Amino acid sequence: MIIPMARVVIVGHKRHLDATLQLVQRLACVHLANATEAFPGLAAYIPTAEQAETEELAYLLARLDALLALAPAPSPTPTERTAVWETEHLAQELRRDLERHAPILEALAQRRQALRNEAEVLPGYAATLTKLMRLTPILTDLTRYETVALLIHRRYRDVIPHLAEEMRRIAGERCELVADEVDADHIGALLVFPREASGPVQALLGRSQVSQITLPETLRGVPFPEAVAHIREQLRRIPEELKAIEAELARQTARHRPRWLAARAAVLRRLEQLRARSQLGETEHTFVLVGWIPRRDLPRLRAALEAEFPHGPAIEEIPTDPATMLKAPVLLENPRPAQPFQFLVQLLALPVYGTLDPTALMALFMPLFFGLMLGDVGYGLLILLIALVARTRMRASGGLRSLLDFLAMGGAWSILWGFVFGEFFGNLGHALGLHPLWRERADPEALAPLLLFTIGLGAAHVGLGLVLGVWQAWRGRHLGEFYERAGMLVGLCGLFLLIGVIARRLPAGWITPGLAVLLIGLALLIRGMGRLGLIMAPIELLSAFGNVLSYLRLAAIGLASVYLALVGNTLAGRLGSVGLGVLVAALFHSLNLAMGAFSPTIHALRLHYVEFFSKFYEQGGEPFRPYGAA
Amino acid sequence: MEIGLLAIGAGLAVGLTALGTGMAQSRIGAAGVGAMAEMPELTGRVILLVAIPETMVILGFAVAAMILLLLGGG
Repeated sequence: MIIPMARVVIVGHKRHLDATLQLVQRLACVHLANATEAFPGLAAYIPTAEQAETEELAYLLARLDALLALAPAPSPTPTERTAVWETEHLAQELRRDLERHAPILEALAQRRQALRNEAEVLPGYAATLTKLMRLTPILTDLTRYETVALLIHRRYRDVIPHLAEEMRRIAGERCELVADEVDADHIGALLVFPREASGPVQALLGRSQVSQITLPETLRGVPFPEAVAHIREQLRRIPEELKAIEAELARQTARHRPRWLAARAAVLRRLEQLRARSQLGETEHTFVLVGWIPRRDLPRLRAALEAEFPHGPAIEEIPTDPATMLKAPVLLENPRPAQPFQFLVQLLALPVYGTLDPTALMALFMPLFFGLMLGDVGYGLLILLIALVARTRMRASGGLRSLLDFLAMGGAWSILWGFVFGEFFGNLGHALGLHPLWRERADPEALAPLLLFTIGLGAAHVGLGLVLGVWQAWRGRHLGEFYERAGMLVGLCGLFLLIGVIARRLPAGWITPGLAVLLIGLALLIRGMGRLGLIMAPIELLSAFGNVLSYLRLAAIGLASVYLALVGNTLAGRLGSVGLGVLVAALFHSLNLAMGAFSPTIHALRLHYVEFFSKFYEQGGEPFRPYGAA
Repeated sequence: MEIGLLAIGAGLAVGLTALGTGMAQSRIGAAGVGAMAEMPELTGRVILLVAIPETMVILGFAVAAMILLLLGGG
């Protein structure tokens, strides 16, 4: 159900603003609303004085987050009493703390990054230099010469004679270019030229767009063999040094983490207080806070305010018209078994305040549909077991927990429907003496009753949606919607009466009442839709009929599952080897189980979202986000 | 022969509608996954949109069942 809300206003002197915001934050039960929208003549509170503090805290928060991310958090992370940061000078204190301790960590992190970069690039240098070393014996005294190493893809080998010619033009006979294949794809080239020709040669290389092998700063001018040996030595040392740095980083962050985590929480709280001010209104001496609160929490807030400020800010409930109430934030609360389905409702969108919360109905129908589609004692047991074990082992929370809870309920319903259809891993139940309470789905004789049953179930589900829609439209005084939904409901009844007569399930005499009911339904639909209804009413009615037929998937998905199980069992039985048979059967049933958990979930969800909800559900509610709960 | 034709008709009713559904879902699904990557809160609506064309194959299944049950005398 949607928890009833009240709109309240808190008015007080500005000297109480900070304390009031702290108190409301602590209680975490008020969803702040824009005060100037509630009281149009009121001036918006402009937090000029707090601007600098907000920016400072946002910067410190980013720096804290960066520091905390330097080393992985130990588990469990110890926490420190947050009271140490409950100070008016939080920003200054924290800045001082960070300036004292952060540079050590940042230096370590920089060194770690540099080492990681070296570990990444140095092997490439070593490999290339080793290849180029074959070219170096021709080099003698290099003190007055500069050397440039090039790696050229074989595809561009034509550039080498061109380079040699251009270099001779620049440096005459005092230059040398030697080239040789270094691997299947590349040609290594070594350019030796006088230092004074460095500028023109570099310009030439830039124009030619060949890739130079630039050595790290420390290795510039070092002969190749020495450079390679140096790189290898460096690569050998890097893991050890990295390990030492990681350990030191972990030690340092472990020392500061509890304090910084507490600081982070305090900064977030303070930032929330500062940012809340943008929702307020003000006069010269007072502030005005407007918010939505669950009605049940109103006395608690009132009592807390009175206790903290005997002569301070006053709280009043604002009388709110129905149109404004539609904008109230939505807080859903349901009995425990229905709670997993809140997640599935919210996955689509929250209902508008004051309309119906379909969670409880979803909790009833969704596992039922799931079970009907799967309808097998064996699969149901396995899904129930897997869901329960996963729920306990994985300590699942949030959406995953909701899905596991749903699967457990679906598994239980599947066991029940499995007894109805007499299925245990397909037809294996026969061997165990399991007989269907109603019909066996694999039996061709069962097809027609099964299809009729699912259509009947669909008609009841869609009909229920329409009844809820009619009631909701009546309650909200939306006459157009009321006539539309009522017309659709009546029209569907007429349509089914006529189909019953045509299919000879009803006496021929029912054709006149059926036709009359259908026409009344169409008339109501046209009344609700206006002139457009003359064209749209029959289309809408057919679309609703299509919605009912859509429930045939309950039978279709189930049949696919049964036949896959039967194929697995039959194939396994014909293999002639017990071991191989068990293996093949296990393979088929595993596949069927995986599909049996996934497909019915999606289809049951779709039947709710598309067929059921479209008849009454008004989506678009704003979630209730109490100030202080973040 | 007649039973064979009925079976082919039923198969076509399911097969062609399944193809249509698949083609529609492939386009909606691709766009939907893109939208979900940008805005995860759209997950529910994307599931809904992807699921809408399935009605075609279900109606195909209904037609196939009618062919087999009403005309085939099953």
